[in-house]
Amino acid sequence: MAKFKGVREAFAAALTDLAVEGKDVYGVFPDSLSAMRAIAFGEKFPERYVECGIAEQCAVDVAAGMATTGAIPFVGSYAGFLTMRAGEQMRTFVGYTELNVKFAGFNAGCMGGEREGVTHQFYEDIAFVSSLPNFKIFTPADGNQMYHAVKIAADIVGPVYLRGGSGKEPTVFPEDAPFSPDGITVCKDYGTDAVILSCGHVLDRVIAAADLLKAQGINVTAADINILYGDNPAKILEVMAKTNLVVTVEDHNINGGLGSYISRLATENRPVRVKRIALEDYSESGAAKDLGDKEGFSPENICAVVAKTLGK
Amino acid sequence: MEVNLKEMCRTVREDILTMIHAAGSGHPGGSLSSVEIMVALYFGDVMKVDAKNPDWNDRDRFILSKGHVAPVLYSVLARKGFFPVEELGTLRKFGSILQGHPHKAHTPGLECSAGSLGQGLSVANGIALAFKKLGTGQRVYCLMGDGELQEGQIWEAAMFAPQQKLDNVCAIVDYNHVQLDGTVEEIKSLDNLPARWNDFGWNVIEVDGHDVNALVHAFKLAALTKDRPSVLIAHTVKGKGVSFMEGDCNWHGNCPNAEQLAQALAEVRGATS
Repeated sequence: MAKFKGVREAFAAALTDLAVEGKDVYGVFPDSLSAMRAIAFGEKFPERYVECGIAEQCAVDVAAGMATTGAIPFVGSYAGFLTMRAGEQMRTFVGYTELNVKFAGFNAGCMGGEREGVTHQFYEDIAFVSSLPNFKIFTPADGNQMYHAVKIAADIVGPVYLRGGSGKEPTVFPEDAPFSPDGITVCKDYGTDAVILSCGHVLDRVIAAADLLKAQGINVTAADINILYGDNPAKILEVMAKTNLVVTVEDHNINGGLGSYISRLATENRPVRVKRIALEDYSESGAAKDLGDKEGFSPENICAVVAKTLGK
Repeated sequence: MEVNLKEMCRTVREDILTMIHAAGSGHPGGSLSSVEIMVALYFGDVMKVDAKNPDWNDRDRFILSKGHVAPVLYSVLARKGFFPVEELGTLRKFGSILQGHPHKAHTPGLECSAGSLGQGLSVANGIALAFKKLGTGQRVYCLMGDGELQEGQIWEAAMFAPQQKLDNVCAIVDYNHVQLDGTVEEIKSLDNLPARWNDFGWNVIEVDGHDVNALVHAFKLAALTKDRPSVLIAHTVKGKGVSFMEGDCNWHGNCPNAEQLAQALAEVRGATS
């Protein structure tokens, strides 16, 4: 297994390992090879590296065409350049036709695009992709999870959207922790005063919040949601059933992401109060920590939201 | 099976008019301008396909980029034997295998969805690239409208194919000069169209888009071209074969009533060439 650090190197490492294993994978890049940390992949497998130039719409449809012949193309770029600029291509030529194309969208969230500013931060991608039938949405929290998510995506027949941030996110999962097929991994199980659910690179903050709350006598469960709008949310519902307060934390707009998904699960299955911490405006340039804190993702704020909502 | 190509063109024109009338809506203008192109591809010994085995692995591929001319494609596929001709009467109706704009899952002989303009050439490039990597000799054909060349993605694809030396791609522009709201010239002109493609690195072949034998010859010339893709610029007339539709943007997406249908069919049947 190739060495990697963070979600981007993990993506490239998994793609490389898939090619080594003989999978018919291709990397389709709209001038994003280096941004995807995939230069080594391109050097090792030049025949599996497809350069489309700065042309995301073309790249997505080229991948669609390749998939009709049995190839497994991975299109890697920034989340919004795929899901917004080439969103219709993803819908009409991949989703509708159920083609076996995989998408890796990086710079997701304000912390994913950080210093680049709003043009290169994307907090709308899940809202869009979740409205496309046939797509699966994977939100790995760190590099180790991304590596496994890419490997699993390659084995699925049909479109998969993988969401990643900057690649500088903290590592939370051990290398060999599986990418949960249940869509949920419980990271802290201190109690059921509240359940805090997050997706993606804010997981370390949620875990820290659970520890802070414990010190205050509030015992919560903290869990990572790694598959959104999946086919079988039974395990997520099982965890949600233990509490009267669910708090969601996500580096995405408050509409259409994790909070929307969990609210839907709650209203359709077992009504429970859902408090959402997410973006409600465009962000700005800055260090990931500062941006995340501003949006309410600091452990202290998550902690305060839980305590206040519980009336403590 | 020896097919009289001109006779087939007449039949396809009748199908187009009849099916759009039965559907109550559709796009006759661009369907009629593409008839000879489509007949040349499917009946002129140009494309390798097997109607009895639509998913035959070694087939050549046809990508319809201007998906609104589904009627001409459906007619040609039906006449080729991909599905019964009777299905043409179900166009655009609930439960039909013939969607208003094409979709692979519904109709035998299709490769993908089509209709959102500007995208087909990118898909064709992807298929052609995969064929190159597989080392098969299969060719990929892509029919575009002239109006849709106003879409930016066309030119993304126009840069991609020469860069990748995709000589197994043959694009066709149905250059009928008319789009939904008027003429291409008044809306966004394509002046010097052959030069534009040539500048992008394509082998350009200009051809009379209503001379089916000339089209067959042009496709064969394209197939002989190495190391770069070819584009046929087919000079055509929107609504070809029906006097009151010819060159009129109002027939881009309008349905003939019974009287208009009768006149149109009479003109098509009476045509000598």
